[in-house]
Amino acid sequence: MSDSKYFATTKKGEIHEFKEDLRSLDRSKKKEAVKKVIAAMTVGKDVSMLFPDVVNCMQTDDLELKKLVYLYLINYAKTQPDLAIMGVNTFVKDSQDPNPLIRALAVRTMGCIRVDKITEYLCDPLQRCLKDDDPYVRKTAAVCVAKLYDINSELVEDRGFLDILKDLLADSNPMVVANAVAALSEIHEVSGKDVFQITSNSLFKLLRALNECTEWGQVFILDSLAAYQAKDSKDAESIVERVSPRLQHANCAVVLSAVKVIMKQLDLIQDDALVRQLQKKMAPPLVTLLSAEPEIQYVALRNINLIVQKAPQILSHEVKVFFCKYNDPIYVKMEKLEIMIRLASDKNIDQVLLEFKEYATEVDVDFVRRAVRAIGRCAVSIEKAAERCINVLLELIQTKVNYVVQEAIIVIKDIFRRYPNRYESIIATLCENLDTLDEPEAKASMIWIIGEYAERIDNADELLEQFLETFPEETALVQLQLVTAAVKLFLKKPTEKPQQMIQLVLTYATQETDNPDLRDRAYIYWRLLSTDPDAAKEVVLAEKPVIMDNTTSLEPSLLTLLLGQLGNLASVYHKPPEAFVTRSRMAVQRAEDLAPASFEEEGPISAGASEAMPGPVAGPEVQSHQPDLLGDLLDVGEPTPPAPVAPTPTPPQPTARPPAPPTSNGNLQELLGGLDINAGAPPPAPVAPQQAGQADPFGSPAVRQDQAGGSSLRQLLTADRGKGLSIFGTVARVGGQPVYQLRFQNETAQPLDGFMIQFNKNTFGLAPANQAVNVGVIGPRSSGSASVPLVQNPAMVSPAQAPPTLQVAIRNNQLGVAYFNDSLPLPAILVEDGKIEGSVFVGSWKSLPEANEVTQQLPINIGSLESVRARLAAANLFVMAHKQVAQTNEEVLYITGKAATVDTPTQLLLEVRYSKAIPGIKAFTKSTRPDLAPFVFEALPALLT
Amino acid sequence: MGLWMSRLLSMFGDKEARILVLGLDNAGKTTILYRLQVGEVVATIPTIGFNVETVTYKNIKFQVWDLGGQTSIRPYWRCYYPNTQAIIYVVDSSDTERISTSRDEFHAILEEDELKNALILVYANKQDVAGALSEAQVAEGLGLSDIKSRDWSIFKTSAIKGEGLFEGLDWLSNMLKNRR
Repeated sequence: MSDSKYFATTKKGEIHEFKEDLRSLDRSKKKEAVKKVIAAMTVGKDVSMLFPDVVNCMQTDDLELKKLVYLYLINYAKTQPDLAIMGVNTFVKDSQDPNPLIRALAVRTMGCIRVDKITEYLCDPLQRCLKDDDPYVRKTAAVCVAKLYDINSELVEDRGFLDILKDLLADSNPMVVANAVAALSEIHEVSGKDVFQITSNSLFKLLRALNECTEWGQVFILDSLAAYQAKDSKDAESIVERVSPRLQHANCAVVLSAVKVIMKQLDLIQDDALVRQLQKKMAPPLVTLLSAEPEIQYVALRNINLIVQKAPQILSHEVKVFFCKYNDPIYVKMEKLEIMIRLASDKNIDQVLLEFKEYATEVDVDFVRRAVRAIGRCAVSIEKAAERCINVLLELIQTKVNYVVQEAIIVIKDIFRRYPNRYESIIATLCENLDTLDEPEAKASMIWIIGEYAERIDNADELLEQFLETFPEETALVQLQLVTAAVKLFLKKPTEKPQQMIQLVLTYATQETDNPDLRDRAYIYWRLLSTDPDAAKEVVLAEKPVIMDNTTSLEPSLLTLLLGQLGNLASVYHKPPEAFVTRSRMAVQRAEDLAPASFEEEGPISAGASEAMPGPVAGPEVQSHQPDLLGDLLDVGEPTPPAPVAPTPTPPQPTARPPAPPTSNGNLQELLGGLDINAGAPPPAPVAPQQAGQADPFGSPAVRQDQAGGSSLRQLLTADRGKGLSIFGTVARVGGQPVYQLRFQNETAQPLDGFMIQFNKNTFGLAPANQAVNVGVIGPRSSGSASVPLVQNPAMVSPAQAPPTLQVAIRNNQLGVAYFNDSLPLPAILVEDGKIEGSVFVGSWKSLPEANEVTQQLPINIGSLESVRARLAAANLFVMAHKQVAQTNEEVLYITGKAATVDTPTQLLLEVRYSKAIPGIKAFTKSTRPDLAPFVFEALPALLT
Repeated sequence: MGLWMSRLLSMFGDKEARILVLGLDNAGKTTILYRLQVGEVVATIPTIGFNVETVTYKNIKFQVWDLGGQTSIRPYWRCYYPNTQAIIYVVDSSDTERISTSRDEFHAILEEDELKNALILVYANKQDVAGALSEAQVAEGLGLSDIKSRDWSIFKTSAIKGEGLFEGLDWLSNMLKNRR
């Protein structure tokens, strides 16, 4: 006997029972069954298998039963998309029902059923309902359009629903207008298309509907009005006049939306008296918002924060409202503090300070800290009150409460920055509390103060020494400050003790630490001090720009954006909506649409560039003559070395450098100043005359850094060969463009002018964009520099067997023509976007024929991987992968780059094999242009060591 | 007395019957349904789904289900088969090209297990259209003569003119009464 009996059951179960009842002809039994099904659905049981039976109950004149069935449909249509089609006819019929409630119900439910297959059947009923006689049906249908747009936007556009919606803006019923506004705004937002533009015509209709529709309808209309750009002051005034009664509304959302509209229009109103009057009008409703529950208070406070950033005068007399109550939740208190700081002025500062002082004695540590910080921020922003704030801070320090003291020291540092040389008398008090500091920020602040005022603190060196004892254990923040303070101390008091101290600190910071920031800063100071202590003084002890309290202020553009979002979540987060919500698939589609467009854009640009290449360089005749001319001259003249001139260390070309932008961050300022000097300073080959105690080893790290730095010019023509003119130069890539950087040294006794340049044909097809060299007149015994922009010209490409050098002719009015050879550095024509996918790399390597592979052994040793990577990237060569081959104990680097060869760019593929044990590397390169390989191998040594 | 009354009621009171109106699209099913129910010709659109109406005729309460005839909807007819007493199969007599399709659907219905006891009433509809097939031609086209073991009948009807519909219902009600 089979085992199937175990599966056969006599008990039919609940679902079967439901099925029976649903098919019953008895109405009440049927209704009862549907209710049971809905109940089961609500508690989470899967009753989707009853779908056909429930749908069959759909056609009934019992409204209650109908609603229940619709509820079921909304829930399960997605799981039974095929069967859902059986409901369509009923929807169609219901949308023509004499009862408007049923018509509206049908159209609303239709919008909630997100099944593609039946969407198109729903358009006709929707169209009918949009033009229904009953406003209830119309307003429901209006929202349904927005839902349909989300499911199928094309359908909405093709069927002209948008136009019908726009017509509804002029509807006689305000609720219909409000819903049409809501639907249009949503479509506008979702699609990103300009579907909803308020015109002066529709504006009037919206304003009229505003007074009569429900509160949430008012919010929709106000929000859309906030997006309207008024034509002129008059227009803005009339809007504000109609909107301002909404400020008295009981619904907070209405109030905030009204404020939003008014804030927007205020900018346009020219009548100052009216503006003041309106600002006065806005205060009471905002204050009223603060009497609601804490949650609403918080939202209101976040919004008020934005409003007072734009226009503090609105609430300038209401600061008392923002005083914290003892039982306010902490999040409300924190927000209130922010607003109090913003509203504090020299008129109310006494009151405010009294409050802050009170808060500083409360129990919540975070709140106390914020309160102390608030005092400091007030001091920074209100000059007149600074003294009073300092006094309060000193009083607080006297309490000796650990965290209060630390917080106070942090803000006092800011006050010192803001008002230099005014309140230093209190330093003594601060020093008393040195031992209690245990937080990094407080320590760092105190160290900064000691360093900054080292000359006024008698025992500054002792104080610093105390901190230095624990130097290795400190956090990076404290360490950085210690380094800086030690340098300041040394510069101000160059005595024996600080000298020892600075050596100790810099040695540790350069050799022991893992933190690159600390190490780099130490190196900068080190070099600075060893090169030119006076310059160091100027840099480190430079006057600092005055700081302002803008730590919590938003950027003006963001503020404007957020003010347009008042009453929305964005105004609570203080972030633009894109930052925390992802738009529906519409946005994704748009992004996909955009992507190919941006690629297409690149096409014409590069095409234009290549068109521009045959510039006004030189006629073909000149070019055809030149090789002979050059050849003749080379034969007659001194033998030119075929190999490129060996690089000679020469000072880098001095370039004009804009001064570092002033920042509010003093530490950064110091650092930037240091960097600036580092880049522009001559190399420290002959170490500057040193003061006693500054040891020589300081120089060594600096030398290494310098070699790593940018391209140096090589001597191309010596003075004896160039009749008294020596030329230095190199082809480099600057700002994505090949450039010939030149420096002329005039050793003659006469001024030289009229410099012109010409290239022979070369492998890269490089040619000067302009023959004239923009260097002007070079006086006797002086020098001049120029950057000659280069272009790539197909006519300038030399035949394949030509030597891989660049032959240059330079003439001037006094000395005539001079010829010389230069090398062609590959990085000059490597483009910035040469990076490719790993798979592409492997694919193209395999697809290129063996014959294209060129190998060479190079007698170099690979430097540290990080620096190699960085140097390669700077030359637009990209390391695809780094691999260890265990068997051969070798390491392999895969590198790629794109060379802008004339006609088509060439993707260069490069493999570098090296081993720690054996000196030298083996480089393999493959590309469609094997003739480029020598250039690759020539470029490698400088990049890899 | 209560028992007597209820017996009397069941004798004279309404009997209920569940009837399905099936057939290819554009055969006239919905028009027939509303002709039977309200006695008028109503403007119809293709039925995507179903209509259900109650038609009382000769003391029998017919619960008539008119199902959409589109190809996409035909697969869901089977959801309506259980507890069905009769099928009204409607054929567009003027649509000679699709008579074989209609025949295939018809025989598929006859095969259905759940419908093996259902009465079969065929309406050769659209007799008002010139060139419409006759009753006999439709019967032949559907292969009605092959049906051996069940009760069936065919009527020529015109839903627009209202001809033949109630004759069919007469047959149906008689058959149903006899079965009880």
